[in-house]
Amino acid sequence: MELLTALAIGLLFAFGLYQFLRRNLIRSAVGLIILSNAINLFLLSTGAYRGLVPAYVGDPLQHSDALPQALVLTAVVISMGGFAFITAMLSGIVHRYRSGDSDDVSQLKG
Amino acid sequence: MNFLAWVFFAPLFCLLAALGVSLWARSARSSVRLGLLVSLAPLAAFLSVAAVLPRVTAGNPLRLNLPWMPSLGLEAAFFLDGLGALFALLISGIGVLVVLYAGYYFADHPEDAPRFFSLLMLFTAAMLGLVLAGDVITLFIFWEGTSVVSFLLVGFKHKDEAARRGALRAFWITGGGGLALLFGLLLLAEMAGSTRLSVILASGPVLRAHAHYPLALVLIALGAFTKSAQFPFHFWLPGAMSAPTPASAFLHSATMVKAGLYLVARLNPALGGTDLWFWLFSLTGMVTLLVGAWLGLRQRDLKALLAYSTISQLGVLMMLLGQDTSIAFKGFVIGVTAHALYKSALFLTAGAVDLAAGTRDLTKLGGLWKTHRGLGLAAGVAGLSMAGLPPLFGFLAKETLLAAVTHPNIPPVTSLVFTASTVIAGALMLAQAGRFVVDTFFGERPAAQPPARPLARAVAVLCAVPAGLSLLLTSLPEPEPIAAFLASAASAAYGGPVKVSLALWTGINPPLVLSVIAVSLGLFLFYRRARVIADQEFFSAWAGRPNLETPARAALRLLDRAAAVSLRTQSGKLRRYLAVILAASSLLVAYALLRQPIAFQSLAVPTPDLAGGLGVLRLFALLLVVGASAASVFLQRDLMAVLALGASGLSVAVLFALEPAPDVALVQIVVDLLVTTILILALRRIPRPLREQANDRRTASGSVRDALLAAAGGLWMAAVTLISLTSRPRVSIVTPFYEANAKPLTGARDVVGAIVLDFRGFDTLIEITVFAVASLGVYTLLRRGLGLYRAAHEMPADEKPHRSFLMGIGGQRPSALVRLLTDAILPLSMVIAVVHMMYGHDQPGDGFTAGVMVALATGLWHIVYGNREARRRLPWLHPTPLVAAGLLTVLVSASLGAWISGSFLSAVDFGKLWGLSLPPGFALSTAFFFEVGIFLVVLGSAARMLDTLAFGEEAAPRQGG
Repeated sequence: MELLTALAIGLLFAFGLYQFLRRNLIRSAVGLIILSNAINLFLLSTGAYRGLVPAYVGDPLQHSDALPQALVLTAVVISMGGFAFITAMLSGIVHRYRSGDSDDVSQLKG
Repeated sequence: MNFLAWVFFAPLFCLLAALGVSLWARSARSSVRLGLLVSLAPLAAFLSVAAVLPRVTAGNPLRLNLPWMPSLGLEAAFFLDGLGALFALLISGIGVLVVLYAGYYFADHPEDAPRFFSLLMLFTAAMLGLVLAGDVITLFIFWEGTSVVSFLLVGFKHKDEAARRGALRAFWITGGGGLALLFGLLLLAEMAGSTRLSVILASGPVLRAHAHYPLALVLIALGAFTKSAQFPFHFWLPGAMSAPTPASAFLHSATMVKAGLYLVARLNPALGGTDLWFWLFSLTGMVTLLVGAWLGLRQRDLKALLAYSTISQLGVLMMLLGQDTSIAFKGFVIGVTAHALYKSALFLTAGAVDLAAGTRDLTKLGGLWKTHRGLGLAAGVAGLSMAGLPPLFGFLAKETLLAAVTHPNIPPVTSLVFTASTVIAGALMLAQAGRFVVDTFFGERPAAQPPARPLARAVAVLCAVPAGLSLLLTSLPEPEPIAAFLASAASAAYGGPVKVSLALWTGINPPLVLSVIAVSLGLFLFYRRARVIADQEFFSAWAGRPNLETPARAALRLLDRAAAVSLRTQSGKLRRYLAVILAASSLLVAYALLRQPIAFQSLAVPTPDLAGGLGVLRLFALLLVVGASAASVFLQRDLMAVLALGASGLSVAVLFALEPAPDVALVQIVVDLLVTTILILALRRIPRPLREQANDRRTASGSVRDALLAAAGGLWMAAVTLISLTSRPRVSIVTPFYEANAKPLTGARDVVGAIVLDFRGFDTLIEITVFAVASLGVYTLLRRGLGLYRAAHEMPADEKPHRSFLMGIGGQRPSALVRLLTDAILPLSMVIAVVHMMYGHDQPGDGFTAGVMVALATGLWHIVYGNREARRRLPWLHPTPLVAAGLLTVLVSASLGAWISGSFLSAVDFGKLWGLSLPPGFALSTAFFFEVGIFLVVLGSAARMLDTLAFGEEAAPRQGG
């Protein structure tokens, strides 16, 4: 199961990267989300041990590791806020450059 | 706390004034009246310092220590003795004059006045803090504060290229010196074992014998030299004259440039008295004195002339601080006072002349006496003081200076050099003062110049006040109290008793003779000034200008060239940067991974562990995640890709739930819905042809490159994950602590919730703030930014939004069933939200999920009823008040917790505290209020995101939101 999980996360990451690199700006936004999903899954896998039940006080079975969960929770929320901002920027870029192609956005160069 | 210690709140008056002006004075009609009002702040500071003078003069310093970061051993310590009081009086007293004067100065541009006043008050606060600081760290913070505000004041006319350059240069120099000072002060604190000034001052012998003494001294001196414009760092001061004249009068004559002197004087009892000290400060001071006096004479701009004479005077004072004699410190305090008085008068006059004649160029000035007698009189008195003539205070300053440099303690040859340079500089100063007064006010006004404008009488009066004081101080019937006060200041700087008398006539002695020589020489130079200046021009053309300005410029040019070179490597294409970054990080990770052997046996046989049924579910979820993500790559239509993304995100939530991490799974579900909605809304904003055009331009080689990069990234990600998963179980230090303490410390069963809300509550507070700021960013970008951009570039607004968003689904009235569902879903979501908030501490769910759920429900209303109708039906949905209320709830409950149990955001169960009977499982605790605050913030922010992305800049901004 470990190998399958690792493969799935790797595939997810690869799909995310590929989308992220595409010219269509909307697709790169999609890629960003897939990437952050992959990374959140990976972060959960950094938990120190495998749990059988959620981390609730009083349950005698082995809890899952609460620390990465709390961190992932924060990461999910923050990336959500960042994503909304990126979408707004993307929308602004499209209107300003009259193009949905990230290669047309080349005024970064001073 | 001694009640007299309220003197340390003097900076606070000015800080409050700065705040008040920037908040409420935007629409000030009359800058004069605003100046009158603002001047109350420095006046209050002045009076509070004056009130403690008797005690300070008697040699009892005041102290105030406030804990700041006790865990680091830091405290905000304040300390006031004679030296600090002298500077504080000068700062606040001249501050009052300058503020009043600035009111008239800005009379023609009242719109600039509020910004100027708030900066000026900010500066006064920093400067007062600097001289009241009783701890080197406190001192340094105020020191940097003066640098920063000075930068803003010098660059006040920010549309002027020269002002920006001058500001930047002043900031580079003083900021660089500030860094050196920080290192020096830290070293000093390390050597003394405390950051407190009183400890440092008491451990002089230890410090002077310490191996690091020379390094610390040189670093501190660098800070003082840059701030006080000592050679070779003096060149920033003339450049800083692009500041509005009231600021120059204040910062660059009376206060900020004296900060370096203050620091050196302050530390003299601890660090002074060594040979290094003597040579470092006397020689630097002497060279500065000569350079300033020499360069000053040939300036044509009134303010530049004053700037160079200031440099020269600062050199004099620095030279005095280098000596180890009591008379030098007498000379120092008298010199500081005299210079502050006459130089502020002259600066204010220069500004008034500029206003009246329309120029500060000496070759275009003359004959102003006929129209502006009051101003001429003030300038005359101040000029006489600058020239060092009796019966003015400047005369006393020069006499004391001459007495100090001819003191028998100084080695004979050195004394001769000092004396000669003092006499020469004194003569040059007299010639400069003469040029300032005579060439401005007497002679004939050049015919080509327009007639001088009349000025308000108050301007001349304000210029005359400091000038008059320099006359008054020497002719007081009762000079004893002031002399005693000056003596206490000098003693504090000297570290031993100093006697000060204000008597002008002390009999015929060497200083008087030297003074007569200097005056005669000065009169000669003044009389032949045209010739002398011509000679100077010739000489400087021959010798060049030996200072740091040339290397500084060369360094900047080098930086420019380096930038040009690096620009050549930049394509400006985002995707190329990304590709380079990804390839490089893939290589780095590969290197790191290949250095350690991977446990290959775990790669060998995939053994799907299907025990208990959950394994099957997990396998299924994994397949779903991968399949949906693949679909989002390969589906051609963007909308379909976004929907596939949504499906993949939901499968990720299933994986979270199987971890088992139910809290994360819940949040992932609502976030996934919100993300999908936002993306669909964004799709609507981007015309389809533009998107498809980007797809069509794809090349095969580009796709292959991207695929290779993606495959490499995915491979390493899989490898890292596998290592992480197969090396379980590992030892965890933090988690057991949380597990053991969740219930006893926070009363929560849910360990994840306890970590988020209690153990790491501050993080969460920042997190929701970030979320709110992100929503503000969306709003600003789309509603404000795009509109402004369109207006600036005369682009037409987009076509009217799709009708369905105004009229409901498909532009038609939705069916009764749909409306019923819509009506039902909002209260339902609210009930779920309340349950989440009440019981989130023991069960999955939290304020964030609750907020997003309700926001999504309101989003449905917008879709079904149309934008306008939904707004009419949901009058309570105003994002800004919701966010504000949420943040306030969190802050208030966290502060209550701090009040009750002593630390911010600590868990307090109010229900138990007040003996309320509540339903079982629900605790009226800080955590609950935190959840409510998060809910409100997230609801407001998410609603604003959806609203702005859906309706863009076309919609009329909603009231209050």
